[in-house]
Amino acid sequence: MLTRHRDTASSVLHRPVTVAEAVDLLADGSASVLAGGSWVMRGEIRGDGFADAYVLVSGLPELLELRRTDDALVIGAAVTHAQLARFLAGDPHLAGLSAAARTSANPAIRRVATVGGNLATIDFAAADLVPALLALSARVTLVDAAGERHLALADYLASRPDAAPGALLTQVTVPVTPGLTVHERLTMRVAGDYPVAIVDAHVRLDADGLVDEATIAVGSVEPVARLWPSLSSRLVGAPLDAGVAEATARELAGELRGRDGVEAQGWYRLQVLPTLVGRAFYTLQQETGQR
Amino acid sequence: MTTELTVNGSPRAVHNPPMTPLARVLREDLHLTGTKLACGEGFCGSCTVFVDDEALASCLVPVGSVAGASIRTVESMATPRGPLAPVQQAMKDTDAVQCGMCFPGILTSLTALLDENPRPDRADVETALVGNICRCTGYERIVEAALGLGTETGAGA
Ligand SMILES: Cc1cc2nc3c(=O)[nH]c(=O)nc-3n(C[C@H](O)[C@H](O)[C@H](O)COP(=O)(O)OP(=O)(O)OC[C@H]3O[C@@H](n4cnc5c(N)ncnc54)[C@H](O)[C@@H]3O)c2cc1C
Ligand code: FES
Ligand code: FES
Repeated sequence: MLTRHRDTASSVLHRPVTVAEAVDLLADGSASVLAGGSWVMRGEIRGDGFADAYVLVSGLPELLELRRTDDALVIGAAVTHAQLARFLAGDPHLAGLSAAARTSANPAIRRVATVGGNLATIDFAAADLVPALLALSARVTLVDAAGERHLALADYLASRPDAAPGALLTQVTVPVTPGLTVHERLTMRVAGDYPVAIVDAHVRLDADGLVDEATIAVGSVEPVARLWPSLSSRLVGAPLDAGVAEATARELAGELRGRDGVEAQGWYRLQVLPTLVGRAFYTLQQETGQR
Repeated sequence: MTTELTVNGSPRAVHNPPMTPLARVLREDLHLTGTKLACGEGFCGSCTVFVDDEALASCLVPVGSVAGASIRTVESMATPRGPLAPVQQAMKDTDAVQCGMCFPGILTSLTALLDENPRPDRADVETALVGNICRCTGYERIVEAALGLGTETGAGA
């Protein structure tokens, strides 16, 4: 059982050197994972408090893998946003994920915040990598005392609230398929604050330049990022058109429930979402030269 | 718990619970009060220090997680009677500093930028400073000072 303390004074920190050792330390559910700490360490100020014990995983070599083949990208859970952004710079197939890693938070946070931490933080609706990876149909690997499991990211997100403690997210696998990707985020201050809404899209065009396949994901609007399949399917079979994408998103926006937060009310997030979809498709149009 | 660190080139041992924020240890145990602890949650950048050459928000770094690391604070940039580091001198020359609260973090973030990119353009400087909040200056002179440095190599620390 995880107990919480108001400040950092009572927490123990374990520093395992292998994943197996980390999983052992997590097995009885009394300790929590610590990666970059950028979320955990706000516990005192935000009133979330601290666990009895933490298991530091950020230095584990097995979680630092970063590998790209022709058809897949493998990201270790302890890879930081800054490392991922550097690795993906200029990769034409993963521009959306690259932008998500490069523009989230601020430089000092990006140097510590890990990919695993971004996906595992249940209370964090505005995570940039989550919609970026959803649009790419990413899968995650979890390891616990019972062994290793592979899940679609969407299933992992749905399972998080009820998951028994003790599982370590070790890896994210991204299939790299032909097509274009984009990451659009709206912040109130241009940069440095949480996005009000995020749109990611992965689009494949056929030989005639019509949308053959589209996967659209939305972040920060609802409490958990989600795919938007009805919008995706409405845009298939037609040319890339930012105006049409925006109008269709406006028509379907009622399918989402905007969350209220300090930086924006739910109605505002829904209001700006179609504009952001339009921007995302405008960027894609520019990339293909269809204007 | 004892944590051993190298701070500004000297070996130090500190005795704090491992989840204590590094910023608090630097200020309260090592009396390196150049590092500020303002927001305590990663937004303002006033606590930015180098940890193994990476500029990090030390309010979010548990001291136990950086055992064995080399920490550099703003105090390492110049000795009391020696010359200022180029980035410090540039701020002085452009009369950029007002209350000064944000400057240790700004100097650290700019040093990190200039180490990586010795000739940044305006967008690079502004992007590097998105995590450093200044309530006094309006940033303009800070950016000008940093752009002036781009003609020299690196900022030195
Ligand atoms: C000032 C500030 C601004 C930010 N702005 C943005 C932003 O614009 N966009 C954005 O996306 N994010 C933003 N963030 C959030 C940041 O990206 C997350 O805090 C970060 O990704 C979490 O990663 P971490 O490694 O620091 O996690 P930690 O703080 O170490 O952990 C966070 C949670 O995830 C769990 N966890 C971590 N790793 C694993 C793992 N491998 N397996 C299982 N559980 C794990 C921990 O137990 C904990 O519950 C911001 C954060 C700050 C402080
Ligand atoms: S005190 Fe660390 S970022 Fe504000
Ligand atoms: S000079 Fe006062 S906060 Fe920047």
